[in-house]
Amino acid sequence: MCSACGFPAAPGHWTETGNASPTDRLRARFRRVQVLKSVLKEFGLAAHDDGLVPDIQIATAFGSITMARDLDEVWCTAERLLGHAVDPLDPRFLGQDDG
Amino acid sequence: MRWIRSIRASSGRTMAEKRADGRMRLTLLGGFLGSGKTTWLRHQLHAGAFPGAHVIVNEAAETPVDDALLSRAASIEVLAGGCACCEQRAGLVTLLRRLCDLRSRTASGETRLDQVVLETSGLADPSRILDAIRTDPMLVHHIVVGETIVCVDALHGLAQLVAEPLGRRQAEAADRLIVTKLDEADAAGLGRLAATLQALNPGAAVEGAAKGSPMAPPSAAGASPEPLPALDGRTAAPIFPTRLELSDEIDWTAFGVWLSALLHARGDDVMRVKGVVRTPAGRLLLQSVRRSVQAPEVLPPQAEREDDTIVVIGRGYRGEDLRRSLERFAGVRARADISILRAAS
Repeated sequence: MCSACGFPAAPGHWTETGNASPTDRLRARFRRVQVLKSVLKEFGLAAHDDGLVPDIQIATAFGSITMARDLDEVWCTAERLLGHAVDPLDPRFLGQDDG
Repeated sequence: MRWIRSIRASSGRTMAEKRADGRMRLTLLGGFLGSGKTTWLRHQLHAGAFPGAHVIVNEAAETPVDDALLSRAASIEVLAGGCACCEQRAGLVTLLRRLCDLRSRTASGETRLDQVVLETSGLADPSRILDAIRTDPMLVHHIVVGETIVCVDALHGLAQLVAEPLGRRQAEAADRLIVTKLDEADAAGLGRLAATLQALNPGAAVEGAAKGSPMAPPSAAGASPEPLPALDGRTAAPIFPTRLELSDEIDWTAFGVWLSALLHARGDDVMRVKGVVRTPAGRLLLQSVRRSVQAPEVLPPQAEREDDTIVVIGRGYRGEDLRRSLERFAGVRARADISILRAAS
């Protein structure tokens, strides 16, 4: 555990299991924030992860920033900020494609 | 149901071998009050199942009785005075931590404890116990929950599923359903029970037992499931499995973002997710019960397996929506198949 920030006191998020080497882990973090950015943009939120601090930063259009430790916290934060959960089965994510 | 068997086979195989990641395997045995959990376990232990397992019996009452019946277990322990999913949750965590601690201290020449069977009280919700283990910073690294077995009483099971939210939650959380007291029930009611169980938890294997010894499970053929009234004020849509075949170049990170969002938003509807996914760290066995996802196990590499296939069991959405959402939300291409249940039955 990091004595300065207390991270990670809790066991890692289950999605972190898939990457064993440090390189894979860092690559996964950047990929994760890339996906989060594109999803949260739909709701007027922004996500940042610089790879240095352990947390993911969730920013609103007004500039307030909330730190989220893992994906569960990201979705909880988004739900609190938006007033509803980010639902992958929301019609905006279903679209009409080839079917 | 080839897909389910293949997933089960891959988890069963690792059970027989030495565990790859060194975690202790916990088998959860649940079921409603008086559903025959102890009788079944007693017979299984007698027949040599769960070799060397440490058995933990949880009883809601202050005075334990069941442990006296289970004398065949290698070692046994009682957690009395409260249900392990609520009042005795802390007690369960302490007990399991102590077991993990003892196990870590075992000298290399001695046999290590590799299996624990937890018989829950009849009032326990298995998913809450899974949660207690998953969220404990120590236990999550030492324990992997292998299988959730739930006993259903052939005589009263149907009434419990209709009236008791708890009975329903137990049946929904199971990997394996044991219909007990088969010798005492009549055939007509059994068909109905089997059909109802299949509607509630289409992914679970169903077995039968009478006084603990195995019997052919009741057949659901020709019987219609009992209409289950909504217990939480919502209409209960039918539960169905969807099989998602992920494309070869699966992006595990994007998939994880999608699944975590799905479970957060739809955790009450998406009851079970199960499957094997290839990741940079190896093949992962992914399992979730409602909102709680177990820390995935890394499986040994194996050619010719049905990898990158996820089975999602739930209701309140269309199977095709899962595929579309996965593609739009996370950019992961997949093929959705909802015909599996119909093809199998």
